[in-house]
Amino acid sequence: MIAHARRWGVMVAALAGAAVACKKAPPPPPPPPAAPAAVPLSVTAVSLGKAIGADKSIAQSLTTFGTRDTFYASVATVGSSTGASLAAVWTFQTGQVVHADTQAIAPQGPAFTEFHISKPSGWPVGKYKVTISLDGAPAGAQDFEVKR
Amino acid sequence: MTKPDDPMPDFSDVEGGSSSSAPPPATRTYTVKAGDSLSKIAKQIYGDANKWRTIYQANTDKIKNPDLIHPGQVLTIPPA
Repeated sequence: MIAHARRWGVMVAALAGAAVACKKAPPPPPPPPAAPAAVPLSVTAVSLGKAIGADKSIAQSLTTFGTRDTFYASVATVGSSTGASLAAVWTFQTGQVVHADTQAIAPQGPAFTEFHISKPSGWPVGKYKVTISLDGAPAGAQDFEVKR
Repeated sequence: MTKPDDPMPDFSDVEGGSSSSAPPPATRTYTVKAGDSLSKIAKQIYGDANKWRTIYQANTDKIKNPDLIHPGQVLTIPPA
């Protein structure tokens, strides 16, 4: 009789445990997050300096240079593209084109692109400008000056 | 010799360059099919038939006459 009661007790306990287990069934996993939409490529900043870092950014921005300096323009972009063209046109105060360069890029996130020019015989003093375009559309510009 | 105060100075000795932390675009290729023309390929790839010259200039080693391309030719497609 005691053994019979114990067996019933065990069965009741087992059923109760199963019921609890059923109640604690884990919820279905949430659906995977949607892939982020691709951000179109755009220029966020144009900085000038005498040197660039390994990541092509400029640590110390300048707007005044010496006649023997190399000018660096660092163009910060965000977004992605499978193929885009960044162009820099350097001009003198007279409107003369000093130099022009184009860099093809395929960024998949934030990036820096640098353009640089130097003049072994020395820069004429005066005002200069670098104009940046992205796929032919104006994207930024910076004025600077060369002083003795 | 640079004349600093010359209103129209000489910039012929300016040296320049560029580089980027972003990778360059991958170069693509296109295999010519029967009925293709450079302008048709340019329209298909760039969305602008007038960019046929971009493809032609990247393939002058393979294309002697831009009006004559042959099925099976593998053309280099430069970034737009």
